[in-house]
Amino acid sequence: MRGLRKYLTPFAPDQSGAVSVLYELGGIIVICDAGGCTGNVCGFDEPRWFERKSAVFSAGLRDMDAILGRDDRLVAKLTDAAEKIDAGFAAIVGTPVPAVIGTDYRALRRMCEKKTDLPILAIDTDGMELYDKGEEKAYLELFTVFAKEKYEVCEEKVGILGMTPQDVSDLKAADKVREELKKEGKEAICYGMGDGLEAVEKAAQVSKNIVVSAAALEAAKYLEKTFGTPYETDYPAVKELVPDLDYEGKKILVVHQQVMAEAIRQEILRRDASAKVQTATWFMMKKELACPQDVSFREEDDYIDLVKNGGFDIIFADACMEKMVPDFQGTFVNTRHFAVSGRLCE
Amino acid sequence: MAKEAYYCTVKELNELGRDAIPAQLRSNTHLIYSSPATLAFNSPGAEGFGVKRAGLAVPDSIMLIVAPGCCGRNTSLISSMREYDNRFFYLMMDETDIVTGRHLKKIPKAVEEICKCCEKRPSVVMICITCVDALLGTDMERVCRKAEERAGLPVRPCYMYALTREGRKPPMVHVRQSLYSLLEPKKKKGNVVNLLGFFSPLVDECELYDLLGSAGVRTVHEISRCKDYEEYQTMSEANFNLVLHPEARFAAEDFHNRLQIPFIELRRLYQTDKIASQYQAFGRVLGVEFSDGAYRKKAEDAVAKFKEKRPDASFAIGECMNGDPFEMALAMIKYGFRVPEIYGTLTAENFIYLNQLSKLSPETKVFSNMEPTMLYYDPEKSGVNMTIGKDAGYYHPEQPNVVWNQDRQPYGYAGVTRLFENLLEV
Repeated sequence: MRGLRKYLTPFAPDQSGAVSVLYELGGIIVICDAGGCTGNVCGFDEPRWFERKSAVFSAGLRDMDAILGRDDRLVAKLTDAAEKIDAGFAAIVGTPVPAVIGTDYRALRRMCEKKTDLPILAIDTDGMELYDKGEEKAYLELFTVFAKEKYEVCEEKVGILGMTPQDVSDLKAADKVREELKKEGKEAICYGMGDGLEAVEKAAQVSKNIVVSAAALEAAKYLEKTFGTPYETDYPAVKELVPDLDYEGKKILVVHQQVMAEAIRQEILRRDASAKVQTATWFMMKKELACPQDVSFREEDDYIDLVKNGGFDIIFADACMEKMVPDFQGTFVNTRHFAVSGRLCE
Repeated sequence: MAKEAYYCTVKELNELGRDAIPAQLRSNTHLIYSSPATLAFNSPGAEGFGVKRAGLAVPDSIMLIVAPGCCGRNTSLISSMREYDNRFFYLMMDETDIVTGRHLKKIPKAVEEICKCCEKRPSVVMICITCVDALLGTDMERVCRKAEERAGLPVRPCYMYALTREGRKPPMVHVRQSLYSLLEPKKKKGNVVNLLGFFSPLVDECELYDLLGSAGVRTVHEISRCKDYEEYQTMSEANFNLVLHPEARFAAEDFHNRLQIPFIELRRLYQTDKIASQYQAFGRVLGVEFSDGAYRKKAEDAVAKFKEKRPDASFAIGECMNGDPFEMALAMIKYGFRVPEIYGTLTAENFIYLNQLSKLSPETKVFSNMEPTMLYYDPEKSGVNMTIGKDAGYYHPEQPNVVWNQDRQPYGYAGVTRLFENLLEV
């Protein structure tokens, strides 16, 4: 049945993706909810929340706020917080409640801008899309608002777009990417994972962008259009995700977000060109990045059927998907995807 | 910008009175700061017993969460616990569902399908719905009846409406009603009592079991100790209910109206003199005199033993723990300890304790975990050297902490004894 889940818990929603992009940038993040969504985002979908303080707030909506559409109360609360908290911007992140009552985010942004001196980002997530959709919206909003000025290009600097724990499932991933690029004499600017708002403002400085998640592709296109910054897709630290196995002539399925899956495919093929690698994803599939045989999953049965009928020898996927295919006789390589299982790489 | 966490002293609060609680300490007037200290507030399903875990308190039950994906996301934290393995299922809503309400038509079929894939036939299917259906005005009772007809087993609604958290019937009140709504009328037995309020049992050594036994009670039912659905059904044989948590009051009233089982309400306290008075009053209602001296002595001995070791103990007491922080602070001060800081949500009910606190420790500071400036909380100069509660531990990572939010519920003298034994250990 469409939408029925028997094995997997729901994946990270769009609001979690949006918060993931903004988390380290020093803004006031207001999740426009009654409380439950904020708890979900912070207590589950944002692994950095337990390690570092961040100004993440719940709007604390109540039934009458929703019924009467009392946006003015939210504006007053945000203004009050902006007076007490030292922040570079404020972001309003949507959830199902404002989606149901048809909240006008642009109006909300204008109302807040009139009351505070802070730049306001309004991200119309609704809790029904997946995390990458929320990330896509947040990246676009972020770079549109802050990356306005043109700077002289610095050849050594390379922007890394799409680095969030949701996508790379490793809190040390940014350091690993920096290490990899350092070997090539480059300096990696990992937006939102180690590099803050200032780096976003100076996005025009980088000589190119590496997009590590399909969610950041639109932002890369925006930066290309605005500053002429070229981009490519890859995951520079992919080597450690591919264990030393015998890949010769093997049929392999890789399930992850599109860019990561493609990077794993390329790494396997680099090690053994005779392998036949198919990628699949539960998340957004960008046509320009896809190969003809790539698969998009929507329901649990899509994955189960593909594994049953695909004759794969090796599967790269999050461990939580192993129990869905108990009859699979091949090798299952646990490739963590935080947005799927809520677990980081060990 | 001051960059200082807002607080009021108990003296100031007591002078202001229950009708003039400062806006900073009222959660509906400001944004809710989200820190690990407020996780239990922000995500009722993530910590302890929220609606999702509570809804599965009926033995052999399963739950279908009908909601946008985001509402069920953190359930994997719970499903990783062995006792909840294969008990959560999801029917995810999309935008079209919200506009057309078509998800409601899918529920009976989904219930049938998940029952088929369970190894053991479930006793009941709980349908958990969230804020979206609250706004849509979904008549889930009706949908559940349809699902019952199709699946041939009880189906009950379970409302995880965060929007109504501060309303007359918040989600945790509602879920308690749902849980007991499955009970069928049975012949009463004079020596059977139900304990209502918690989703896990009281600590085994709790004196309440012995005291009830001494009053002629032979069977004490707690939903969490019921081994199967049949045993759960025997809860309707009770002579009376003991309500140990105020959120179970509505459920107890339901019991009274539907099954003619009356109830008596008792509070969880940490002041031994007040525990004694409560038991005396309870005994009078039952027409017996409880002999609780030995239990009280044990609790007071535990306090004395700790005091001997740590006469200088100076506590920060939080609200993420099994107790009322204001009542516990009062108990600690009466036992001769210092309590410089309390992190709690102030309600009119707490003023009974605030009044006494203002006489005994007027300078004790009260913070609200949810106030935005808690981002700047600084433990320096607080004078705190021990903490109780997960939130208090978060603010004072350098100090010894007793988390005190275990599933097994501390209660009465046994709760006091355990608390001080735990404090002694850290």
